[in-house]
Amino acid sequence: MEKIPVTVLTGFLGSGKTTLLNRILTENHGKRIAVIENEFGEIGIDQALVINAEEEVFEMNNGCICCTVRGDLIRILGNLMKRRDKFDHILVETTGMADPGPVAQTFFVDDDMKDLFKLDGIITLIDAKHLHLHIDDTAECKGQIAFADVIVLNKTDLVTPAELEAVERRVTGINKMAKVLRATNANVAIDAVLDVGGFDLDRALTTKPDFLEPEYPFEWAGTFDLKSQSLSLDLGDGPDPTMDIVIRSLSGTSDAHDESNAVGALRSWSHEATEVSPGATVAVPDGPMTLLLPGSGRRKFDLKLAGAGRVGIYTQHMPSEFEMRFESAGAVLDPLAEHEFTAGHTHDEQVTSVGIHLDGELDEERVNRWINKILREQGTDIFRMKGILNIKGKNNRFVFQGVHMLFDASEDRAWGKAPRTNDIVFIGRKLDRDALNEGFKACLA
Amino acid sequence: MFGVDSSRNAEMDAFWRVEGGDYVCALIAEPAGKLCVAGLGDGTILGLNPRDGAVLFRHKAHVGSVLSLSLSADGSAFASSGQDAKAKLWSAGGSLLAELPGADSAWVEHIAWSPRGERISTAAGRRVRTFGKDGTLISQSDPLESSVTGLAWRADGTALSAICYGGVHIFPFKDGLNKRHLPFKGSLISLAWSPDAKVIACGSQDCSIHFWRLASGQDSQMTGYPFKPKQLAWDDESRLLATSGHADITVWDFRGKGPEGSQPLQLSAHKGLCTSLSFSHRKGMLASGSQDTSILIWQPRSRLNPVRVAFLETEVTALQWCDDDRLVLGADSSGRIVAWKV
Repeated sequence: MEKIPVTVLTGFLGSGKTTLLNRILTENHGKRIAVIENEFGEIGIDQALVINAEEEVFEMNNGCICCTVRGDLIRILGNLMKRRDKFDHILVETTGMADPGPVAQTFFVDDDMKDLFKLDGIITLIDAKHLHLHIDDTAECKGQIAFADVIVLNKTDLVTPAELEAVERRVTGINKMAKVLRATNANVAIDAVLDVGGFDLDRALTTKPDFLEPEYPFEWAGTFDLKSQSLSLDLGDGPDPTMDIVIRSLSGTSDAHDESNAVGALRSWSHEATEVSPGATVAVPDGPMTLLLPGSGRRKFDLKLAGAGRVGIYTQHMPSEFEMRFESAGAVLDPLAEHEFTAGHTHDEQVTSVGIHLDGELDEERVNRWINKILREQGTDIFRMKGILNIKGKNNRFVFQGVHMLFDASEDRAWGKAPRTNDIVFIGRKLDRDALNEGFKACLA
Repeated sequence: MFGVDSSRNAEMDAFWRVEGGDYVCALIAEPAGKLCVAGLGDGTILGLNPRDGAVLFRHKAHVGSVLSLSLSADGSAFASSGQDAKAKLWSAGGSLLAELPGADSAWVEHIAWSPRGERISTAAGRRVRTFGKDGTLISQSDPLESSVTGLAWRADGTALSAICYGGVHIFPFKDGLNKRHLPFKGSLISLAWSPDAKVIACGSQDCSIHFWRLASGQDSQMTGYPFKPKQLAWDDESRLLATSGHADITVWDFRGKGPEGSQPLQLSAHKGLCTSLSFSHRKGMLASGSQDTSILIWQPRSRLNPVRVAFLETEVTALQWCDDDRLVLGADSSGRIVAWKV
């Protein structure tokens, strides 16, 4: 029997879940949809069955986090299948503060649910205007972003383009795998949220080619030639009350964003930051500076470098977000070259994505052992994991996805003419990119 | 086939067969053979004469599925509950006697008529409600830790047990008895109170079985089930507890000090997960049904092979003994109800 797809809608109160739900239900898609709602919304639709139920998260006796499931879903969905007219799709709306883990795990852990349903996708709605109010204080908010297959950035009409950019960067800094849709009034195409096939790493790779780029703690790098030792930075108001920056001398012909220079900046970044207040004149340290931006209006920082010549300036946020100006010897400087980097864990060292691309054939046994070890040791910190692997001796792509310690793996379609290669993505806390890289490489046949 | 001794006339011929039309969610049968009622996935209740399969009544009782049915002690009435948050009392002839008040918007997932007929209890959401047989509300519990997942009366009707995430709650209906809570950290999904009232057995979401000996409060756990034990059945002597959770049926023997520390009986013959278990009213005959469409009759007190076999068309969803154990009634997920003479 064909498994029935389940879409999970998450998002904080006010993010637009009910609006999206109503849009899905009123759209003429010809599907018989059952909705399990955990918040009392204003749904009044005849063509769908709407069931109100309290969220019941059941921790099992063995205390294992991955066995934590939603008991209400098991009971209700089990009962909904006891009829001749089956539903085509199930929508589960979670409460604002819900951890999506137990909902997702329900479809991996419970035998009945596993047999009858498949998790199609986790859709997370975000209020673009108010995200910043929750994101740093509530683990649930980051969890909802980290778990998502699709993120709907809603209420984009309430923010400026620069704010929207910043919100999107923040979100993709946590979850690079998700498809991000911008919306006002949750007006996204229904087929972009239903039947998304939670699994679609291909899509992530084609829609975001920079997806697997290494992460840097800075979003921008600019190359400058300085005629004197002094440099002034002039910043207006931006999304944060501070901005971290690294300034490094470069050899005369290279650019700040060249890989070796970027890696050098990355190393500098790991030093302790020096706080710099506006107005004072400071010598540029080896490590990063944290420019303090109290109050509002423009602030100027006068810096002394070891010498004139070519420098690379690396900024935590986009200079444009702060209307940042670079001045030297009384003149405004434009960069000779500039480059935007994929938002890494600039804001959020807690939850990040690590994507690894690897050419070559993998040894099935080694991959198995490696993944099992990671899940055993770090399963609680890994929210989602997806991969498409090129296993030695197999004609078909090997695909898998996981939620915490649980995963589903199977042979997918044949590689055909597509280049045989390996992509794997982890989203979670405390991910060690280097160790994951090394571990993955060690699985090569 | 199915390990049945072929020298006996093992495959049972259908005595009658009725197409109910939708998934049979619940099936009850009056032990003496006066009435059988099936509750269907489209909300229909279908009354049949067990002795010939004649349709006695057919009503749309609920919007959405029927979730539970329960027969009164004397067989003169029965109760139904459904996804429409309603619970109703019906005469044996199928006329509506009363609609039970008080279930807000939650599904009424369980309904249980007390063994001597004086009370009816329902479980809807996190509350247990108890009514007189005229339909008036007698008592209502505070919300339990989670939605109630099962109800069972003590055999003498003096207490009601209800299970949920967090354990078993026992509500007394006799002066001098106290409320009890048997705690368990986990989700209980099935419940059976032994006929001698000494043991409450529960299946758990974490694929284990728990027994509570009520006199001592002693709690034992039996693990190792590959699937959730959703079906439990006691024999009439309170000696054998049959449990599902596998294609095999695991039977625990409570004689002497058992079953702790002992090996259970394994009844192996079904090819798919066991979905229904029902002991006969006397002599300890066990009927079991499976996802693989087979129905087997066992005599677990004396042998480990099934003695009779029959088949439905799709997954077996319910089994009942009837007509003084001369008939077994079975129902499946496509809505077929069949009677066999054992």
